Amino acid sequence: MPFKPGRNVNLYALTWRLPIIFWQFVFFVGPVLFMVAMSFFLVKNYRMTEAFEFVNWSRMLSRGYFWDSYWYTVIIASVSTVCAMCIAFPAAFALAFRASESTRRWAIFLLIIPFFTSYLVRTFSWFVILSESGVVNAMLATIGLGPYTMLNTNFGTLVGYMTLTLPLVVILQTVTMANIDKTLVEAARNLGCSAFRTIWQVIIPLSKTGLIIAAIFCFILSFGDFVAPFYLGGSQEPTLPILILDTTKSGQQWPRAAVVAIMMMLTLFAIAFIGIALAYRKPKGAK
Amino acid sequence: MSEPLVVFDKVEKKFGSFVAVKQLDFEIREGEFLAIMGPSGCGKTTTLRMLAGLEAPSVGEIRLQGQVMNNVAPHQRDTPLVWQSLALFPFLTARQNVEFGLKMRGVDAAERKERALRWLDKMGILEFADRNISTLSGGQKQRVALARSLVMEPQILLLDEPLSALDAHLVIRMQAVLTDLQRELGITFVYVTHSQSEAFAMADRVIIMGKGEIAQIGTPKDIYRAPANQFVAEFVGRNNILSGRVAALSADSARITTPSGDFTVPTNDVSLTEGHNASFVISADLVHISLAEPESGNRAFCRLISEEFVGSMVTLFLEDRHGQEFKVQMQERELSRFDLHSGDEIWLSWDTASAHVLNET
Repeated sequence: MPFKPGRNVNLYALTWRLPIIFWQFVFFVGPVLFMVAMSFFLVKNYRMTEAFEFVNWSRMLSRGYFWDSYWYTVIIASVSTVCAMCIAFPAAFALAFRASESTRRWAIFLLIIPFFTSYLVRTFSWFVILSESGVVNAMLATIGLGPYTMLNTNFGTLVGYMTLTLPLVVILQTVTMANIDKTLVEAARNLGCSAFRTIWQVIIPLSKTGLIIAAIFCFILSFGDFVAPFYLGGSQEPTLPILILDTTKSGQQWPRAAVVAIMMMLTLFAIAFIGIALAYRKPKGAK
Repeated sequence: MSEPLVVFDKVEKKFGSFVAVKQLDFEIREGEFLAIMGPSGCGKTTTLRMLAGLEAPSVGEIRLQGQVMNNVAPHQRDTPLVWQSLALFPFLTARQNVEFGLKMRGVDAAERKERALRWLDKMGILEFADRNISTLSGGQKQRVALARSLVMEPQILLLDEPLSALDAHLVIRMQAVLTDLQRELGITFVYVTHSQSEAFAMADRVIIMGKGEIAQIGTPKDIYRAPANQFVAEFVGRNNILSGRVAALSADSARITTPSGDFTVPTNDVSLTEGHNASFVISADLVHISLAEPESGNRAFCRLISEEFVGSMVTLFLEDRHGQEFKVQMQERELSRFDLHSGDEIWLSWDTASAHVLNET
């Protein structure tokens, strides 16, 4: 057989790429396309039938409860992102700038440990701490306060979101800030910038890309999370994941649930797109 | 004489158990161009960082205009530094970089802009004011870094090997820019470098450091012609160093016996003792060569090992039959009269006054 290097190289490359392309199609592109198609199906007598009708879309998007749930989810995921970014920052700052190399390595290792256990289990453990007769209220009672209701509130939902996102956000922020050229921080100090002021003037601008990516992750995880709002928030106000569950349960409305899911995906696409565009935006005066 | 601008009073700096610098005792005079030179790890950068407040001395005092600076935070000092890596802020334009220090000092936007543009213009890079740092060339960045420090109108400017990242031809250009600026502004420059040519070309005084200590302080000429000790003599490079024993001592000269022969040297102020060891140096450019043996005076018979050309100057590397190395520096046109090839044997000679006895340390 004659040797054709170009052709062989292409085949070789293709062989390696094939599994990932296959994976993407079977487990991502395929299901998404099916979900889009399904959002146009009809449900008759609790059974889904193939169709191409806009009735699910018009019904869901014209309902107040959908938009209430939509904006509630957007807002609480945003609040979660702001909280996680703010709570994580001092810890990440200390790990990146004050801790030694080995302390930082240990801290990152310890921050990975929470991912060893199921998020659901970690969420349930909050019952012991946050319930009316839980640890926090017992401690507050000794100084004559409480009891406070913390479960089945927005606060409970946020505690759940923090359980999910904080370790990841601290890791991402730490790694980003540890990679900053320390000379630039010293240069700012040398030019009259106080240690505290360097955070806004130098450190945040320098770690912008990593910080935005940490925030995007936090938003995506919170926005799509079912466990925290369901168990700790008590689905007082249903978030979109809870709405999907309710919709599928009530009368097998899979097509309407698909509409909610597509709206969620579009929102996350938009957030991720805008976030990454901001993260990698060229500084002023760059070519 | 006026009060020195900066005084280092028995300053020592330790990092853990590692002593970075010790017994730093020197002063910086108002308006001088001082170079601190030494091999890497000699503590020169630590010295500069202590002056900027980025490190605190472990022992001793640093005084600026009579005021003890040990515990003054870096941002409360007026000691801008030009960094080896330049440390320009990549998220800002050239003008915003220059404005940074003024902004931190609370100067209002209009004045900031005016002063930044004036300095960018002075450095010849006004057209790049609104460009991002990443789009500028090495030389242009260098000028932005200088403008960023000088716009603060400091009394003292610190420079940490600022030219080490530049191409050779740019280094020469920037040296001229720096010396002109220093003369024009009349401010004190403290310039840290490992490059002898940079230090000698620009500085009024040079501090040579080795292993965390000051080896010598003096004018470039002092250090070149009269190194204080073996370390400086070796660091300065183009020196011939001979070691031996003091055979005879008179009022102002000594006879030193070395394996390569007996030589007469002026004693200067160095105290020598008959029978003790002594070393002396002769600058490479003060050694003469001849084919015939000189009739009298200091002389050595050597074999040529190799030659090195730098422009019109040539350095000959030679060795006598006792293994003593010699270096001779001369004009290329002067050398061409001899038609030498490696392996040829010639006579070296020098005036007694050219030799300089070292303090043994």
